[in-house]
Amino acid sequence: MSQARRYLLRNQDIPDIDRIEVYEANQGYQALRQAFNQYEPAALVEMVKASGLRGRGGAGFPTGVKWSFLPDDGRPRYLVVNSDEAEPGTFKDRELIEHNPHQLIEGMIISSYATRAREAYIYCRGEFRRGAEQLRRAVAEAYRHGYLGENILDSGFSLDIKIYRGAGAYICGEESALLESLEGERGNPRLKPPFPAVAGLYGMPTVVNNVETICNLPPLVLNGAEWYRTMGTEKSPGLKIMSVSGPVNRPGNYEIPLATRLRVLIDEYAGGMRDQRGIKAVIPGGSSVPVLTADQLDTPLDYESVLAAGSMLGSGGCIVIDERTCMVGVAARLLKFYREESCGKCTPCREGTYWMTDVLNRIEAGEGKPGDLELIADMADNIGGKVFCPLGDAALGVVVSAMKHFADEFEAHIKEHACPMGARLYYDTVNH
Amino acid sequence: MIRLTIDDQQISVPEGTLVADAAAKLGIEIPVYCYHQALGPLGACRICLVQVEKMPKLVTACTTAVQEGMVVHTRGALVDKGRQGVLEFLLINHPLDCPVCDKGGECFLQDYAFSYGASAGRYDEPKIHKLKDAPINEFIILDQERCVLCQRCVRFMGEYVGEEQLMLEGRGVQTVVATVDHQPVVSPFAGNVIDLCPVGALLSRPYRYKARPWNLERVESVCPHCPVGCTTLATGRDGHVVRVEGRPEADRHWGWLCDRGRFGYDFAYLPDRLLAATVEGEERSAAEAQRTVGGWIAQAVASHGPESVAILVGGQHTVQEANQIARFAREVIGTERVAMVRSTRGYLPSALNGTFEDIERADTVVYLGGDPYESVPVVHLKLRDRYRQFPDLKVIGIGSWVLTRSTLPGQDVVVEPGQEVAVLAAALKIAAGEQEAVKVLTANLGDWRPSLTGVDPAAVEDRLRELGQSLLGSEHLVLLWDGKDAEMESVLHAIKTVREERSAVLPMFGPANWRGFEQAGIDPHFDRLDSVLDDCIAGRVTTLLVFGGDLLREYPDRRRAEEALAAVERVVQEGCFAPEGQEHYHAIVPGAGWGEVVGSYVNLEGRPQTAGAPATPPGQARPVRTYLLAWAHALKKNLVFEDEGRLPGMAAAARAAVAPVTRPGDLARGDDELVMVGNTEVMEGGLPSEYLASRVAEYPGRVSPQDALRLEIGQQGGRLVVEGSDDTIMVNAAPDPRVPGGRMVLPYGIQESPLNRIGEGATVKVYRREEVGAR
Ligand SMILES: Cc1cc2nc3c(=O)[nH]c(=O)nc-3n(C[C@H](O)[C@H](O)[C@H](O)COP(=O)(O)O)c2cc1C
Ligand code: SF4
Ligand code: SF4
Ligand code: SF4
Ligand code: FES
Repeated sequence: MSQARRYLLRNQDIPDIDRIEVYEANQGYQALRQAFNQYEPAALVEMVKASGLRGRGGAGFPTGVKWSFLPDDGRPRYLVVNSDEAEPGTFKDRELIEHNPHQLIEGMIISSYATRAREAYIYCRGEFRRGAEQLRRAVAEAYRHGYLGENILDSGFSLDIKIYRGAGAYICGEESALLESLEGERGNPRLKPPFPAVAGLYGMPTVVNNVETICNLPPLVLNGAEWYRTMGTEKSPGLKIMSVSGPVNRPGNYEIPLATRLRVLIDEYAGGMRDQRGIKAVIPGGSSVPVLTADQLDTPLDYESVLAAGSMLGSGGCIVIDERTCMVGVAARLLKFYREESCGKCTPCREGTYWMTDVLNRIEAGEGKPGDLELIADMADNIGGKVFCPLGDAALGVVVSAMKHFADEFEAHIKEHACPMGARLYYDTVNH
Repeated sequence: MIRLTIDDQQISVPEGTLVADAAAKLGIEIPVYCYHQALGPLGACRICLVQVEKMPKLVTACTTAVQEGMVVHTRGALVDKGRQGVLEFLLINHPLDCPVCDKGGECFLQDYAFSYGASAGRYDEPKIHKLKDAPINEFIILDQERCVLCQRCVRFMGEYVGEEQLMLEGRGVQTVVATVDHQPVVSPFAGNVIDLCPVGALLSRPYRYKARPWNLERVESVCPHCPVGCTTLATGRDGHVVRVEGRPEADRHWGWLCDRGRFGYDFAYLPDRLLAATVEGEERSAAEAQRTVGGWIAQAVASHGPESVAILVGGQHTVQEANQIARFAREVIGTERVAMVRSTRGYLPSALNGTFEDIERADTVVYLGGDPYESVPVVHLKLRDRYRQFPDLKVIGIGSWVLTRSTLPGQDVVVEPGQEVAVLAAALKIAAGEQEAVKVLTANLGDWRPSLTGVDPAAVEDRLRELGQSLLGSEHLVLLWDGKDAEMESVLHAIKTVREERSAVLPMFGPANWRGFEQAGIDPHFDRLDSVLDDCIAGRVTTLLVFGGDLLREYPDRRRAEEALAAVERVVQEGCFAPEGQEHYHAIVPGAGWGEVVGSYVNLEGRPQTAGAPATPPGQARPVRTYLLAWAHALKKNLVFEDEGRLPGMAAAARAAVAPVTRPGDLARGDDELVMVGNTEVMEGGLPSEYLASRVAEYPGRVSPQDALRLEIGQQGGRLVVEGSDDTIMVNAAPDPRVPGGRMVLPYGIQESPLNRIGEGATVKVYRREEVGAR
């Protein structure tokens, strides 16, 4: 397997790198020194732009470009790191904060220096208890070692990092809902524009970036933008962590050069399928993206190619579905997640995911009726593009694509009043 | 200006206008639930979907700002399907309650479902069940199942009013509106959510099941409870007012009311409403009393001359009624002894009077003596609205307790009771002593310096200078005056004279329609009332006719009022309720009240507004004109009243000049003594209401926490004996951190604790009454 050298996931090679001494002994905080010595903040932003680094939280927005949107009007600025990672299938940020928290902290200091933020927050998913503990401990270590606080390493730059724990809502990973939650409000998404870069936390210019995005900064500063561009494609350069789950031999997080083929990820990195099972479908980018089918395994994993194949790279949560799995069950189970996680702000998502889940559950339980599939398709049309935030659209990704690619399975459920695979998901509604 | 096309019609609107508003200007209806202009866009309900050419998806009209050359389609296959989808989603969990819903027929869900919805339902899964009768407070009930989660109510309370007492709870399809900490909502503005709710989720409890929209008469009216004169819609049924709603006026009012105005309409049918007349303590028919009183008046005029008859006007009478009374006095009787029943002594000349437009432009707002939130509540909301537009709004409270509050933060200059005028004069002297008007104003002030609560004596000078500069240097000054101290008029004149930029005063004092009475020809000056009472006491008046007002309750010196009544041979009262001290009245005749006669009210802006009559006078209650015509007949005079709708055009009182204000005497109060301070509070005094009973403060008196501790009344409050120089009253009082030590703030007009027995400004001894008991 083409495992060269790991950058973001060095924790898989270096034991105890979560301890500051070990981190320091392995080039830790060298990138920070280099950033202070070699770059003015603006030059650092340019370097990140040149590297082509794109946000790893899902949308893939170019990070340097995002940073350059901050208005230069003297108001305080904030950096907020999104560690809410609640997307089913995605578990990379968890490993990054649990096993190498200093890498994130170093990346945050560099990013704050570049964006001239004086205060930075980590919004940590509520369920990540160990992650939050690790971050807390590491932040305290960083303060003790002079990497945080006033006048860091005599650079004249000062930064404080605060850790905030969420309360268990997927929507709080959406950046504007995250900011609401951080301010102590109900985690509902905000109207955009204004975007966080202009009016974010407490109305101030704010950069929101994913954990993995920020973790790219230390290697990027040490090795330079050209190095980053030696990997991946022109539009999707660099490294990406893919979380592989499902019946593979070695589920886990893998750092790949972008544009690595899906088949390579599954077969070489993740050790292939357990018991030689056949692959029925793959959800390549977390539960919010459409499924790819077995004949699409040669798709290169970069943003453009996955999009061209009809899905999205998203947050890199690669869920492999084997041929024994019922796609109606997959759709019903994932949709239920969105129903539970819909914040309730807008009508189509709130009511639509509820209704659609009920109908899917019925079909899955063998109680489907003729017309149900048309009804679901029509509901999806009434939700898609008509919701307030991307969660509502995300809810449809798997359902709509599964119905398209595996129409026969759905129809069989209705005709035979049972699951042709013999699987049976529990049938419930919110009322039960 | 931005030019765009909506449904083939062109329009130019200012930059930043939302498509929904631009369409409304063209008269094109775009359905909305969550959007409300006062609250701004939210984008939650998605019912306002429209199609904009060159945009990949439908957009919400309420969140999309216009752009040059934009082409918008508000109907069409795509839009209609989108809207139909949203409506279908809204209905899946909506109960089938319409036939029993109070909003049935006035509901936007029904309306839009009719206009844009599909004909048949496709939903046959189980519906979500939520709470159906969740009380928000004693006036408002919430049916969570009917709620469409537009958040108007939540945002109104939290963002608009600034009293975050409603919230969303739960998430997804389980989301419900709930009260914060599950405590009842206490804001006096909460009732507005009933009007704001686009569906039948938030309902008025007093109105519940009272009527169906199709057997109602909804007429335009005006709230009579305070001088704001909020515009309302009053719903009549079977001769009664059964509901009051806010009535928005384009570019002027959002239609907010306070709960005093919204729920305080039940006075009309309370058991103690006067339904028949009383003559010499005996119940009589109104017709008989009419004749008797007519005889009395005729006799008085015949034997003692027209000037032996005096007339007082107050209460909720309309301008037209007041004018009828004024004409009766002058044309039929020929007396000039006509005055207004007042409880405060101040007068505001029209030339100084501002309007709500001044609030919309103000950069500085000064409260003089009272807190608008308590005296003229909806003015507080207007100020809040201004503050939301203009966060730099400077708010200053000048009074004997802290007048500003967290929803409209400001600074306070807390003075010794009754020293507002002198403190302002001193501040003007420091800031602009060289000005002629200020010289005159402060001629008697000398080197007087106030003591200000919480201000070091050495810093008082600076504090006053700062105040003076705010008063004179601000760009657009609005002063809200409690009307207590008549000398304030000079201060207000001086400020206006010295200032270069605009200043405007809004009077917070009553009677609610005093400006209207003035226009009708009733002199509002307190001196005038005093001189009529002098005439009574001196025996120059033998017959006193009181219309509306309740002299003993309202006049600031009760003993003097009693003395005056006792000195008059015959006192006649017209009104909706028996006055206090009935033994002084020789005849009491039942009058028609608000909602029972068509007429106008002039509000604190000096703006006349018409109120219709959805109700009919109960029992033998008669409109004033009936009595006046009968009495004119008894005097064999011919009196003809014009159309009720027409307003009399009377000249405003002449403008006074700046006069020197009085230098305050030395403070002389013992450590255990308090000074009484009166306050106008809309929830207290005024017309009785059972609906509002729970809102009448259990402990209307307020003392400082330290004094409360000394008096041992605890956090909750307790019963105190307040001993004045020649009278004693009981007051239920509670600690209020806004009140400094050494004073007790007490609302006017509380029957159980009449401040006018003790007197405003009186130094009193206060001690705890042993047996504990709420009134
Ligand atoms: C429903 C929803 C959930 C999201 N959850 C996360 C998350 O857990 N972590 C994350 O980094 N971004 C998440 N995002 C994306 C963020 O809104 C945002 O785009 C991202 O944090 C930006 O960082 P990046 O530019 O570094 O990717 C979510 C978006 C949506 C719509
Ligand atoms: S689509 Fe609407 S209901 Fe769903 S999470 Fe976003 S805002 Fe909330
Ligand atoms: S109760 Fe009424 S106003 Fe409040 S959110 Fe529900 S529908 Fe909207
Ligand atoms: S503010 Fe005054 S006029 Fe307006 S509703 Fe309240 S009591 Fe009535
Ligand atoms: S009115 Fe536009 S989204 Fe609700």
